[in-house]
Amino acid sequence: MLLELREIQKRFGGVIALRHGNLSVDAGEVHLLLGENGAGKSTLMKIVAGMLERDGGEMLWQGRPVNLRRPAEAAAIGIAMVHQESLLAPHLTVAENIFLGRAPALPGGFVDRRRMQRDAARLIEERHFPLQADWRVDKLSPAGKQLVEICRAIQHGSSLLIFDEPTSSLSEAESGEVFRIVRELRQRKMGVIYITHRLEELRAVGDRVTILRDGETVHAGPLADISTTGIIQQMVGREVTTIYERQPVPPGEELLRVDGLNRAPLLKDISFQLRAGEIVGLAGLVGAGRTELCRALFGLDRIDEGRVQVGGEEARIRSPRDAVRAGLALIPEDRQKTGLARALPISHNLTIAALDGLSRGGFLDGAAEQRLVQQHIERLRIKAESGNQLAGRLSGGNQQKVVIARWLVRGARVFLFDEPTRGIDVGAKVEVFQMMDELARSGAAILMVSSELPEILQVADRILVMRQGRLAGELPGRTTPEEIMRLAALEAAA
Amino acid sequence: MIQRLLPFLTLIVLFVTLSVASPYFLTSTNLSSVVRQTAVINIMALGMTIIIIAGGIDLSVGSTLALGGLLGTMMMERGWPIGAGVAVGIATGMLCGLLNGFLTSSLRINPFIVTLGTLGILRGSALIISNGLPVHQIPPAFSFLGEGTVVHVPFVLWILLACAVAVHVLLEHTKLGRYAFAIGSNPDAALYAGIPVAFHTTAVYTIGGMLTGLAGMIEASRLMTGQPTAGQGYELQAIAAVVIGGGSLRGGEGSVIGTLVGAFIMGLLSNGSDLLGISPYLQQAIIGAIIILAVAVDELRKRRMA
Repeated sequence: MLLELREIQKRFGGVIALRHGNLSVDAGEVHLLLGENGAGKSTLMKIVAGMLERDGGEMLWQGRPVNLRRPAEAAAIGIAMVHQESLLAPHLTVAENIFLGRAPALPGGFVDRRRMQRDAARLIEERHFPLQADWRVDKLSPAGKQLVEICRAIQHGSSLLIFDEPTSSLSEAESGEVFRIVRELRQRKMGVIYITHRLEELRAVGDRVTILRDGETVHAGPLADISTTGIIQQMVGREVTTIYERQPVPPGEELLRVDGLNRAPLLKDISFQLRAGEIVGLAGLVGAGRTELCRALFGLDRIDEGRVQVGGEEARIRSPRDAVRAGLALIPEDRQKTGLARALPISHNLTIAALDGLSRGGFLDGAAEQRLVQQHIERLRIKAESGNQLAGRLSGGNQQKVVIARWLVRGARVFLFDEPTRGIDVGAKVEVFQMMDELARSGAAILMVSSELPEILQVADRILVMRQGRLAGELPGRTTPEEIMRLAALEAAA
Repeated sequence: MIQRLLPFLTLIVLFVTLSVASPYFLTSTNLSSVVRQTAVINIMALGMTIIIIAGGIDLSVGSTLALGGLLGTMMMERGWPIGAGVAVGIATGMLCGLLNGFLTSSLRINPFIVTLGTLGILRGSALIISNGLPVHQIPPAFSFLGEGTVVHVPFVLWILLACAVAVHVLLEHTKLGRYAFAIGSNPDAALYAGIPVAFHTTAVYTIGGMLTGLAGMIEASRLMTGQPTAGQGYELQAIAAVVIGGGSLRGGEGSVIGTLVGAFIMGLLSNGSDLLGISPYLQQAIIGAIIILAVAVDELRKRRMA
């Protein structure tokens, strides 16, 4: 056995990412590692690659126990990783990246550039890669960058190569190229671990499969022995713990209508409607285009084609300003980065989108602002000493409330929630759901992006599923995780 | 809290020390000369405060000051009334600020680079327009702006107070001020909140330019010349005043009162050194050390908070 992981554990603060991580890979084997978003796949692989240290369990490399504390140590024994986001030096050439950290040396600390160039060129030529040793890496496509990482792994004499979702950013032709290379690596008796989200790729490349769910290995075995349906069941088959149940309200007038929205390269022909009082879930795998759809609707990315109507009126949205004026609100996934001004008081954060209505001739109506702030702190039960407290000092859940309250103050009617429960604890999640419910009851329309299927199932009245930039279908709110995964991960009608 | 008050304490300690150390310090002649010397930097620093709060920086203020003062005095030389000349100086500053704002917000070039470029462009323009020669034919009454007295107090102090109040109101009680803090504190969040970021960034530089133009006219009035070489190195003093007063070059922080204190600390240091016979060369080194000290203290405070 090349690599064996036994009962690997890893926690981040109070969150358990891995509790029973088991995996074994043989030389000359392509091993698929599957699981839902957040099942612990990347964490497990980062432990293998020395990027994270495990809290418990055993790791055996060629039968001997090892303890890797740095990526360099993993590289030294022959483990390499091709990352989701390329970890190359963008301003250097292909050859320089392949030899990064191990450039052939001349006496006196000089680099033997000619030898480096020659060896890199030979390596590329042998594999028929569409690359040139002297190209700059930042000019390469995502696929090209992955090829460079693969070359680096081969050059370093790695015997195990980990692909972390290698095809999520690749075109079909490029994926075909990656598969060809994976097969070649197998022939050279290298071990390959291949993390993927897209189930239809499975059969093309894998020998064996390990499925993770909630940080636990729930299935391991030959790929031929398990059906695709079986895989989906294993991936989502946890008991759905009900933390919240919403009573839908009868939907009212149409508040948002999207017709034939296109944006290259990802979003294709997207049409849907949202009605007042509705909470619509938007499900899909990582890279399916959910966040991109929200960004396009909110004017952060220009749409190429398509009509957007808000409240029955044509909306030409070219900037967030236009979106806000039309009555849209975006509660972004990354609150720290794009939601809050952490160094400013809560009050400023609350009213920042509504100052047009709170000022006359550019001068603020301080008293009116104060009233609104107080009112919304109470209404949303934001736990703060006062409106003057800095927003960055609030807990995650309360920060989320401030971002939501900002749009209540503004009077938005269409809310786009991008992963509203990410990084907040269960109690705060329920409060966020209650807030969304209250919003819907007061006549707002809500689109909720979430990777947490149980949460979508508990909150949404109906569910839109995206797959590779398209709406793959619509499901009623009372559907099953299996149905969602089927739409999200498989070819339509497959 | 103590660290937040540090600039004030420093100013008080400096004031008391100098009162004890030199018998000439607490005379009205000396104090009004401190005020007059500091006013130019102070007014520029007020504009810089808004710009730094909005996450920007303006290295071109020295050149803007020279160009404003030059064009204003040139108009007077041609027989325009003093008021019109002053207006030309302010308008020139405004246009320079507009240019900086436009380049940073529309072309999305780092303001450090943009204003480093306009520093050269504006200085060059002033030298070309004047042929490198100062303007001397200025109506004598113009000297009132920089040297006059109203109710026993230098006229420039009144102007400074008016500007300080205006900038304070702007920052704390207007939409523009609120947006400036938001943009400087987190530009992405400001964009996501629907703030017209480019417009307000441009506005901030434009207002800063106006104040610099006014400072240019005061400088010209004090020297009674329109100097194309005026204001060299003033950008560093203006930035230093903001930073010593608690402004953060990362944006989102700063206040009018802090900047005033910062500017007066530098003014007193320079005046005190003169009174005590300390070399002007050493003065520069002292001011440099104080800038580093002020920022270091501020960083420590923030790190402890985080």
